[in-house]
Amino acid sequence: MSGPIAVIGAGGFVGTRLVESLVLEGSSDIRAVVRAYRSLAGLSRFGSAVDWRIADAENPAALVQALQGAGTAVNLTTGTPASILRSTRTILEACVAAKVPRLIHLSSAVVFGEVASSVIDDDSPPLMRHWMPYARAKAAAERWLREHLPTSPCQVVVLRPGIVWGVRSPHTLQAVKALREKNAYLAGRGDGVFNSIYIDNLVAAILACCAHQGAVRGFYNVADQETVSWRDFYAAFAPSCDYDMGQMPSVSIERFPWSLRAVIEYVQLLPAVNGFYHRLKTSLPDTLKSRLKALLADGYNYGHTASTYNRKPVVDREVWHLQRVRYKLPTAKFCKNFSFTPPVTFEDGVRRTVAWMEFVGYESLSKQLVTAS
Amino acid sequence: MNDSSPKRTVLVGCGAVAGKLYRKPLQELQRQGLLRVVGLVDSKLEHAEALRSKLRSGSVFDDLNLALRSQRPDLTLILSPPHLHRDQALLALKHRSHVLCEKPMAPSSDGCAEMVRLARENDRVLAVGMIRHFFPAFAQLKTFFDAGKLGEICSFCYREGRVFDWEVQTSAIFTRQASGGSGLLLDIGSHALDYLLWLFGDLNVVSYADDAYEGVEGNVVLELTSPACPGRMQLSWDSPLRCELRVVGTRGEAILRVDQLDKLAIKTNGDFEEVAVDHRYPADVRFPSRKTITPKLYTESIYCQLIQVLRAIELAEAPAVDGQQGQACISLIEAARRCARPLDMPWLDPYQEAMHQSLHWTKA
Repeated sequence: MSGPIAVIGAGGFVGTRLVESLVLEGSSDIRAVVRAYRSLAGLSRFGSAVDWRIADAENPAALVQALQGAGTAVNLTTGTPASILRSTRTILEACVAAKVPRLIHLSSAVVFGEVASSVIDDDSPPLMRHWMPYARAKAAAERWLREHLPTSPCQVVVLRPGIVWGVRSPHTLQAVKALREKNAYLAGRGDGVFNSIYIDNLVAAILACCAHQGAVRGFYNVADQETVSWRDFYAAFAPSCDYDMGQMPSVSIERFPWSLRAVIEYVQLLPAVNGFYHRLKTSLPDTLKSRLKALLADGYNYGHTASTYNRKPVVDREVWHLQRVRYKLPTAKFCKNFSFTPPVTFEDGVRRTVAWMEFVGYESLSKQLVTAS
Repeated sequence: MNDSSPKRTVLVGCGAVAGKLYRKPLQELQRQGLLRVVGLVDSKLEHAEALRSKLRSGSVFDDLNLALRSQRPDLTLILSPPHLHRDQALLALKHRSHVLCEKPMAPSSDGCAEMVRLARENDRVLAVGMIRHFFPAFAQLKTFFDAGKLGEICSFCYREGRVFDWEVQTSAIFTRQASGGSGLLLDIGSHALDYLLWLFGDLNVVSYADDAYEGVEGNVVLELTSPACPGRMQLSWDSPLRCELRVVGTRGEAILRVDQLDKLAIKTNGDFEEVAVDHRYPADVRFPSRKTITPKLYTESIYCQLIQVLRAIELAEAPAVDGQQGQACISLIEAARRCARPLDMPWLDPYQEAMHQSLHWTKA
């Protein structure tokens, strides 16, 4: 596709790494589309190597202008559940209006819930009654795209990654913190499939979509090559977190272990409350927000790692459901159509991520001692 | 009530800093009769007008010279983007106004020196807005330090970073200095280095690495030395670092959470224990002060900083950070940039790591 790659939502976790990869691979045709000036922070080091535009994904006129002349648009926006369907529509319509030949839309494997059947494939319909508003919104966006995909003059490729892990991944950081603070847990024996993709493998998949010359419209699962369980995932990071996997508690895999926090989160996710919560969050004065945040903050671990294992950890509902995933989503369709092999192995991804964790200050106790001495 | 008349005050720059951080403290000081906003200056008049309607005071201008001539302020608050600080402060000082200039004082130490000289010649207060002097935990750690509570200091490590979320209204901060911008080192770095200078008295740069190519740095790592010990400083605009200053001494260890106003923990034996932070600041313009507070919110710290500037004007007290101290901080940043090298990024694949090294701005 000729013309720049326009990355919508370029200031986020995936967007920043995509732009960084494009710059480091020598691309000179990169356009970063961000909602606000503050989103330029992670891109500021590239200077004029990246052409940037300010456009809200829900503002059609601004978006059409930002996408003019682009060869491919990549939709990496997140937003609130209420905004996901709207922004999906606006972005495709803007691509059509700006005559962008190809749109790569990032959906999520969460639309298949716990992947309870081995027959779920790339073209299976998403779950429309998922308990999580984000998953329902992603499913609604997929359904809308499915209706418009065959006839749209813009070729739409929908990628469906699982958990995006690795360097700068908020999910991985959360998991590592849980290990360091001895709050991690496994649902059952931890055999659930860690349905995931290393950040650089996702970026490579997106770039494969950008580079492909043929007709590729459709839905595609993308994932790492290996099948990894949740136990494998935690075990890979345990040594760098001074964590003994033999001490990891197991929680029920059959019934969700409710706690006060889980109840609060459940209420927060009720559709009526969820909309109100997001409106309230944006309208509260900063001073009140910082007071509330301080009030609700967890205790801070000054020693960096906890010395005792929490035998009764507070279980996060989303993580619990993710740990119940039964099957790895098939990725053969994507690998075949795009001649794609994920470039980073699980082992190498862990090595790179540990290097980054040390960089941000989460080094193992043994490394801390070496540094201190 | 204070005995003297309210200080006539002009605000320069009516963007996010003025609107989000200074508005409430200014309203409070106006209510107390300690100052009166008489002018609001911004190249975008609508920004000045929006702030004026909230402060219910002052006239709006898009020309600082005109504002200074017509309003004859006692105090000028420079809250504009950093590349404008020097010229605006010099103009205010020429009009014999005292100045509180937000950090960074100016992008170059030469610019800072000019500001210091003019302030001295005109016998005006030149204060630099280094708000962390008014974070009680930061001040309390300084007190512990001076009292030798940690023994002899062996090492320190300062880390501060998160995904940038400040609602800037232009892209200036993200552009190179030649185009009037600043970058991470001037933005958060000036706070961090100012605080380390306050603690240690003197610092030298041993090495400096960043990740900028044609743009400005989003991650930096500095190795430093102080008369007491070596140390390290790391900042980020895109990664959630553990936001802490960790100081190791012969008699104990301290961790200051640098993203909080009032969180400090000390370990003398056993585990870290949070300290009850109760450092108090004057909240009036009397000597001796009759009212003091321990700020709990950022805006309360701004209030204390403004009070300290008013005390400097009225009672000839030293401001928390004067022009020379502000200049020392900028000189350190310049020293860092002189020895810049590419940041190590071992999480990249070998090809990208090599490209990262070759694209670094020092190779241009």
